[in-house]
Amino acid sequence: MAILDVKNIRKKFGNTEVLKGINFSLEEGNVLSIIGSSGSGKTTLLRCLNFLETPDEGQIIVKGETLFDASEPPNKKSQREKLIRQKRLHFGLVFQSFNLFPQYTALENVMLAPKLTAKEKNTYEAEKANIENRAKELFSQIGLSDRMNNYPHQLSGGQQQRVAIARALILQPDILCFDEPTSALDPELTGEVLKVIKKLSERNMTMIIVTHEMEFARDVSSRVIFMDNGEVCEQGDPRELFSNPKHERTKQFLSRYFVQSSN
Amino acid sequence: MKKFLLMLVLVLVTFLFGSFAFAESDFEYVKGKGVLVVGITDFAPMDYKNEKGEWIGFDADLAKAFAESLGVKIEFQEIEWDNKILELNGKNIDCVWNGMTLTAEVLASMECSKPYCNNAQVVVVPAKEAEKYKTLESLKDLTFAVENGSAGDQQAEAHKFKKTQVHDQASALMEVASGSSGGAIIDSLMAAAMVGEGTGYENLTYTVALNSEEYGVGFRKGSDMAEALNKFFEKGYADGSIQKLAETYKIQAALIK
Amino acid sequence: MELFLQQLPVVIGALNTGFIQTLKLFTVTLLGAFPLGLLIAFGSISKIKIISITTKFLIWVIRGTPLMIQLLIFYYFPGLVFQNPIWGGGEQGRFLAASLAFVVNYSCYFSEIYRGGIQSVPVGQQEAGLVLGMTKRQIFFHVTLLQMIKRIVPPISNEIITLVKDTALARIIALQEIIWAGQAFMKGSYGISGAIWPLFFTAFYYLIFNGIVTVMLAAFEKKLEYFR
Repeated sequence: MAILDVKNIRKKFGNTEVLKGINFSLEEGNVLSIIGSSGSGKTTLLRCLNFLETPDEGQIIVKGETLFDASEPPNKKSQREKLIRQKRLHFGLVFQSFNLFPQYTALENVMLAPKLTAKEKNTYEAEKANIENRAKELFSQIGLSDRMNNYPHQLSGGQQQRVAIARALILQPDILCFDEPTSALDPELTGEVLKVIKKLSERNMTMIIVTHEMEFARDVSSRVIFMDNGEVCEQGDPRELFSNPKHERTKQFLSRYFVQSSN
Repeated sequence: MKKFLLMLVLVLVTFLFGSFAFAESDFEYVKGKGVLVVGITDFAPMDYKNEKGEWIGFDADLAKAFAESLGVKIEFQEIEWDNKILELNGKNIDCVWNGMTLTAEVLASMECSKPYCNNAQVVVVPAKEAEKYKTLESLKDLTFAVENGSAGDQQAEAHKFKKTQVHDQASALMEVASGSSGGAIIDSLMAAAMVGEGTGYENLTYTVALNSEEYGVGFRKGSDMAEALNKFFEKGYADGSIQKLAETYKIQAALIK
Repeated sequence: MELFLQQLPVVIGALNTGFIQTLKLFTVTLLGAFPLGLLIAFGSISKIKIISITTKFLIWVIRGTPLMIQLLIFYYFPGLVFQNPIWGGGEQGRFLAASLAFVVNYSCYFSEIYRGGIQSVPVGQQEAGLVLGMTKRQIFFHVTLLQMIKRIVPPISNEIITLVKDTALARIIALQEIIWAGQAFMKGSYGISGAIWPLFFTAFYYLIFNGIVTVMLAAFEKKLEYFR
């Protein structure tokens, strides 16, 4: 059974239709890359999955549970926020611009969300050591054990993004989403972030990656979606899609990248 | 500016609530709450603090005796003189008892007692120039500091003197002492207490008296307290206690009998 | 000189009493206006139209009129208009009325500074909190607040220093703060009449107090320098 089913997601901003009925599904442990030019709706799609935007139409189903159905009447407001909070935790999101909290150290950034949740349940004292151990374990996974007491502004962009990944991972999401995780980085820093993501894929983390790194997408993905103008234009096996694109627009898009990279 | 703001508040209030009606008589109101709140300013020799910080003075002592005769406690409350009518009508104080000249404005806006003390508006000048300013005619060249809206202000107006309006009479004296103004017009009783040898303004003196006027105590318009005070005064004159008090503060010459 | 030395202890005593009123008003205003300003700031950015419009109207009225007339209205209106002098005539009541006027006035100024501070925190910070499953309340207190405070310390410092001196306005409703106390010596109390120097002497109180406030604020600003 698919871990995620996305059915007919539509989203309008004013009169502009940004998503025109997106359908796809994702198997547990798989990595899905979404590629496409800027403005094709990739980021909006990720934001819809993370409830930062509300789709106008469609359904989002995780592990057979319908998390979102636009045709259902909206619940009462207070209830809605509470429900959304719970549903959100199925997903993690890593932003293009990291969005670490500047006033906390790297370790505090990672520990903040589980700490607040534990405090809400009045179990913080009991869980404290456990949370800290998990956080430290994550820092060793991302190779930053020696920097966890630094503040974000004392870290490089690549290091900050790795901390942001750890921050998302500590909540143990079913699906981890990346929104162009290396676009804000200097070219020499992208490698360290991609390495961390690759390591996650080897551990069978289910991921959706919006990216412009075509070679990386080809190497790491189990599936690739090419989006164009708010629609899924073509999807399939990465090797197949990259070496033998069927659609004219896919060809055009990919030619730009692979001509560039062969130069 | 301040005057304008006050006017604005007054106009607004009068506009909204044409008249003030008393549910009970003012006399009963004061008796009921058991305390007479007297609105004053720091104004020697009528109301001022002794070394211990207690209020004394001819007016202060008389007010204490009046409160005692009513069987109520007394409370002195310093006010901003410009706001005296607001304070009174807002019931923050029950009377203005502070060497208040009974001007037309005061008589129109308060219920006043009979006058109890004579006063005059006098000209204060530096002592070394006193010889030059002995006649009304000689005053034409001076610029006078006067308290904004005071009886002195009105005298300057009436005599068509050049004037500078300041915040209070004490400031008017400071104007002369600092040389900012050539002279000041203030109450003779105040001048007697504050100007000349043995005072803080040894280099000043007072010369010409511009008019004669009278002090009274002001209550809320329509209040029956004014009548009660008049009766108290009559008794005080009869038994000589007021005369004695006036001698204590050296104003017996000004007392109205 | 001898007279001066004789008067000095009396004057200092009276000025100290006045300065305590100044200090009390200053403290109460800050304690009240810091939280109330935040409430008003939330009101002005509320998505509920009626709340944001009402709040903006309040801010317009309070910032658009002089504090002096607000003091007069707060103190005299209950007695004059409703024949119900809720404040009473005493020092206590005058202090309460002055405190209320100052708290309301400064809250409105603070609220606009807060609003700017809240809106200057990048929206990505909130979104990061949301996707981590935090409530709006948790996001405000654990993420936005400190970043906002860091941004508003300089403009708030300015207001605080202005407040120290603005307290002198309360004398319009006869609150006997330090300038009132200084002027009393021109009028003949404590056996001292026509003494002008105490009034000017009050300036030292303001100066020293403002010096202390400035140093404290600078230290606070420095404390927040650990993050960017």
